[in-house]
Amino acid sequence: MRILIIEDNRHLADLTAEGLTRRKFVCDCAYSAAEADLALGSAQYDALILDLGLPDGDGVHWIKKRRDAGLAVPVLMLTARSSLQQRVDGLDGGADDYVVKPVEADELAARIRALLRRPGARAAPVLEVGSLSYDTSAHRARYQGKAIDLSPRETSLLELLMREAGAVVRRSRIENALYSFRDEISPNAVDAAISRLRRRLEECGARNMLHTIKGLGYLLEDREAC
Amino acid sequence: MLKRLSVGHRLIGGLLLVGAIGTVSLIYAVLSEYGIPFSALLDPTMRDAASTELFDHVLIPLVVLILPMGLATTWVIRTAFEPLSKAARHIETAPTERGMQIDEADMPAEAKPFVRSINNLLHRLDTSAQQQADFASDVAHELRTPLAILSLELDRREGSDGDPLKAQVSAMRRLVDQLLLLAQIDADATMPMTPEPLDLETLAEDSVSSLAATVIAQGREIAIESEGQVPKIYGHREAIGAGIRNLIENAVRATPMGGTVTIISGPGAIIRVRDQGAGLSEEKLAQLIRRHQRADHASPHGAGLGLSITHRIMSAHNGHIRTSETLRELILDFRLQ
Repeated sequence: MRILIIEDNRHLADLTAEGLTRRKFVCDCAYSAAEADLALGSAQYDALILDLGLPDGDGVHWIKKRRDAGLAVPVLMLTARSSLQQRVDGLDGGADDYVVKPVEADELAARIRALLRRPGARAAPVLEVGSLSYDTSAHRARYQGKAIDLSPRETSLLELLMREAGAVVRRSRIENALYSFRDEISPNAVDAAISRLRRRLEECGARNMLHTIKGLGYLLEDREAC
Repeated sequence: MLKRLSVGHRLIGGLLLVGAIGTVSLIYAVLSEYGIPFSALLDPTMRDAASTELFDHVLIPLVVLILPMGLATTWVIRTAFEPLSKAARHIETAPTERGMQIDEADMPAEAKPFVRSINNLLHRLDTSAQQQADFASDVAHELRTPLAILSLELDRREGSDGDPLKAQVSAMRRLVDQLLLLAQIDADATMPMTPEPLDLETLAEDSVSSLAATVIAQGREIAIESEGQVPKIYGHREAIGAGIRNLIENAVRATPMGGTVTIISGPGAIIRVRDQGAGLSEEKLAQLIRRHQRADHASPHGAGLGLSITHRIMSAHNGHIRTSETLRELILDFRLQ
C-alpha cells in the first residue's frame, strides 16, 4: 500500500511516515501542494493523507481541483481544526474521511485500512481485518489462512461488516444489503444471520470479533486498531 | 420622581401649568378690560353677567386651545416612540441571532444617535464573540500540532514504557477539545448563533456509533434504547453531541469491565445515560459541576470538567443535567425548552 502524506510541518510528516511504515505501509511525503502535484504525476498511490493548511494553498481547494481533474484515490483529511463547518467543507471538497489532530499512529493506520476496504478503492481485491481475510473476487473468507465455510448470505454479511470494520453497521443497512423487496424479513432475521455468522467465526477461532450494539447495529472489531 | 421620567407626563404637566397661568392671566385681563371689580364675583346680582363674560372669554378659548394641544401631544409622542418600542420588541423576540442591527431609518432624528450607538454596541458584541471563538480555535490549532508530534514520537519507542505517556497525551487531547468547546459555548453566550432543529434520537445514535469501538476496546458493552416519542429540540448539534459523549465517557469509566452502558431516549425531550457503577448522588453531581472536583464516581481523567462542561451546554439550551442515584443514570433534560 503506497500512501502520499501531504503535510507542511516536515517533522510531523516524517514522523507520520515513520509510524505508518512500521505498520507495513509505503509512504512518501510532500511538504507543499506543488510537491504533491509532482509526486502524483510520478507514482501511483493507494491513498492520500492531506493536511488542510498548506504553505502554497488551502487543502480543501487543492483536493477540489484534483478531484475535478479526475483524481479517484481515497483521501483522508488531517487537520488541527475541528469545527463542523470545516468538516463539512472538507468532505464536500472531495475528502473521504476526516481526522482531527493529534491522531495516534494506530488510529491513522486503521482509518486508512478502512478507506482502502471501501468499494471502489483501487487496491486490494483481498480485504483484511486482523487475521480475517476476504477475497472479493472469489467470495472466499479465511481466518489465519484457513477457509471459513459460509452460506452466500453469511458471506455478503461478512463482506459488509469487513468493509466497515471498526465502525457500527446499522441494522437497517444490513437489512437493505441482504434482503430484496420480495424477501419477507422476520423481525429477528438479521439477529439470526448474525448469530450464525458469529458461530462460524468462533468455530474457526475468531472469538470476540463480532459485537452487538443493542438497539443500533453490529461492529466487527479491527483489532490492530485497538 | 419616577413620573417625571416619562416624556408624556412631563408634557401634560407643562400643558397644565400653561393652562393654569393662562386662566389666571385671562381672568385678570377680562375683568380689567370690562371694568368688573373682583367683588362683583361675590355679588349675587352681578355674578351672572360676570360669569358670562368669563365663560366667553376665558373658558372657551382655553378649552379650544388646550384640548387639541393635549390630544396632539399624546399622538405625537406615541408615534415618535413607536419605532423605539418596535425595535425593543425585535430585540426581545429575536435574541438568538448574530449580526442583529436596529433599523434606524424609521427612527425620529432625536433618537438616531442613541440607536446608532446601540448598533455599534451590538456590532462590538458580535466581533468580540467571534474573536473569542477564533482565539480558542487558534490556540487549539497551535496545541494540536505539538501534541500530534509528541504522540508519534512516543509511538517510535519500542516496548510499553511509552504507554502511560500515550495515555497522558490522549488525556491532553481530550482536554484541548473540551476547552475549545467551552470557549465556543462562552462565545455563544455573548452572542448566540442561530439554533437548528435537532433530532435527539439521531444525535444519541451518532454519539453511540462514534464511541462504540472505543467502548468495546475498553471491555464494556454499549446499547441504545427508546422509551417513547422524542420531540425535536432547538440547539447546536456539536455542543449537544459533545454533551452526550461526555456522559457516555463518564459512564464507561464508572462501569466495571464486562458491564453495559445504556443510552435511553424519551419519553419526551430527554436522554438518559445509565451505567453500572455506584450511582452519583445529587450532592456529588452539584459538587462536580461547581468546582470541577472529582468525586469517587470519576477516575482521574478530567471527568469533573466533562460534567461541568455538559452542565454549561445544558444551561445554554434551557435544559439541565440531573442524576438518579437509584437508577444509576445521568439525565439530560430539554423538556423546559
